[in-house]
Amino acid sequence: MVKYGLFLGCNISFNRPDVEVSMRSIFPALGIELDDLVGQSCCPTWGTMPSVDIVGWCAVAARNLALGEEKGIDLMTACNSCYGSLNEARHKMLTNPEIHRKVNEILATIGKRYEGKAKCRHVAWVLYKDVGLEKLKESIKYTLDGITVAVQPGCHFLWPSEVYPDKEEDPFNPKVLRELCEALGAEAPYYTKLIECCGMGALRSTDPEKSFKLVKEKMENIKEEIDADLIVTTCSSCLIQLDDAQERLRKEGKINFSIPVLHLVQVIALCMGFDPEKVAGICVTPRDEIIKRILENKR
Amino acid sequence: MEMMEEGVPDVINLSYLAEREETELEKRVAEIIKELGAERLMYCMQCGACASICPLARVGFEWYNKKLIKALILGLRDELLDDPTPWACVACNRCTEICPRRVSPFEVMFAMRRLMAEEYAIGSLAIEGLRSLYEYGHAVYMAGREARKKVGLPEKPPSTESDPKALEDLRKILKQTKLAELGLVPME
Repeated sequence: MVKYGLFLGCNISFNRPDVEVSMRSIFPALGIELDDLVGQSCCPTWGTMPSVDIVGWCAVAARNLALGEEKGIDLMTACNSCYGSLNEARHKMLTNPEIHRKVNEILATIGKRYEGKAKCRHVAWVLYKDVGLEKLKESIKYTLDGITVAVQPGCHFLWPSEVYPDKEEDPFNPKVLRELCEALGAEAPYYTKLIECCGMGALRSTDPEKSFKLVKEKMENIKEEIDADLIVTTCSSCLIQLDDAQERLRKEGKINFSIPVLHLVQVIALCMGFDPEKVAGICVTPRDEIIKRILENKR
Repeated sequence: MEMMEEGVPDVINLSYLAEREETELEKRVAEIIKELGAERLMYCMQCGACASICPLARVGFEWYNKKLIKALILGLRDELLDDPTPWACVACNRCTEICPRRVSPFEVMFAMRRLMAEEYAIGSLAIEGLRSLYEYGHAVYMAGREARKKVGLPEKPPSTESDPKALEDLRKILKQTKLAELGLVPME
């Protein structure tokens, strides 16, 4: 049985724990063992240590990565920011011996060391490569037949590709999330703004209006071009942003439609028959209709 | 690629374009930025590939990646310190992926953040995140225990939240970084 250290980060832990329940439900059922990685912290996210001190960023990331390395396992996350920050920090250490040395000097003060072996993998890539599309198809009780999905891979799933353990053939024309959704029975067509940013994170906290402009453009494009029934993302930040911001846009009369948003692992959990209240119970934009449709699609 | 790079001088002096007297600090700003992580700043040829796909440029921020790089080479330090653009960068790294000169404009943005942090030109939300990181081990800390209970999970995740020794270790690390040096976060 393959084993990964389940890296939760902050958003999933506190804002969208139904994503955590989804991961804890689907992976053991798909033959992937999860280690709790007790003592993990923030990755650290972009607005914190990366904005202040490169060595400090790498040291916090290395402590998290070392928790896996000590057990001989890689980390796995459903958060694109964690995926980005941990792998970029690792890349900095592996390509800059001076940074790596300073980081290990700091880690030594807490009795730890990071060699650079453990990396962080993304749940979507684990599903795509370790589990595989065929096994995924066989594991579901309900399908997404007749459902059109707009995929939102999110920025840090794709770029900068050189730091990631798994890479799209063309990071500006990503296929993995579309193929995963198609394996569940969905139509997952291309749309023009597929790789556009959702505007979450620093942009939203610095200037919400500008951030919501990106959401509005993306939502309108999804509606006009593919008239999607559901948005599926690989990123907890995109999940929160697209779920929450479209509700605000509706209230302000800037859009007049609604598209439910789910994380990929939540969609799989629903298709595998896990309790919708537990695996997809936290949202702003209502999901009841789409969940009902999925549960009517018996395999 | 290597051949092209050999011909690139270490410093491109465009200060004559600034149309005013430069301070010593302004002359040094490009060097400071390089030291703060943007090592390949001077390889930029202002082609605009990064700007063409930058979310900040799309929504109308003033000093998006391409402009920021030019301004740093010109030494326009004070204008930049007053602007929130670097703190709005989503770190999406489209620019890193597309840059033909491997400048990594993302690194320039974040080097600028680091300079701003050193000058205390830092947003309250960033300080809040840093304080939360030190206090709880989580930057995004919404005290979401109700949400966890709702979906049947333990109130605390298996993180620094439920492991005092791990939180102590994290704080020990943070005390050895610039965060402590700058005094942005109260550390007992």
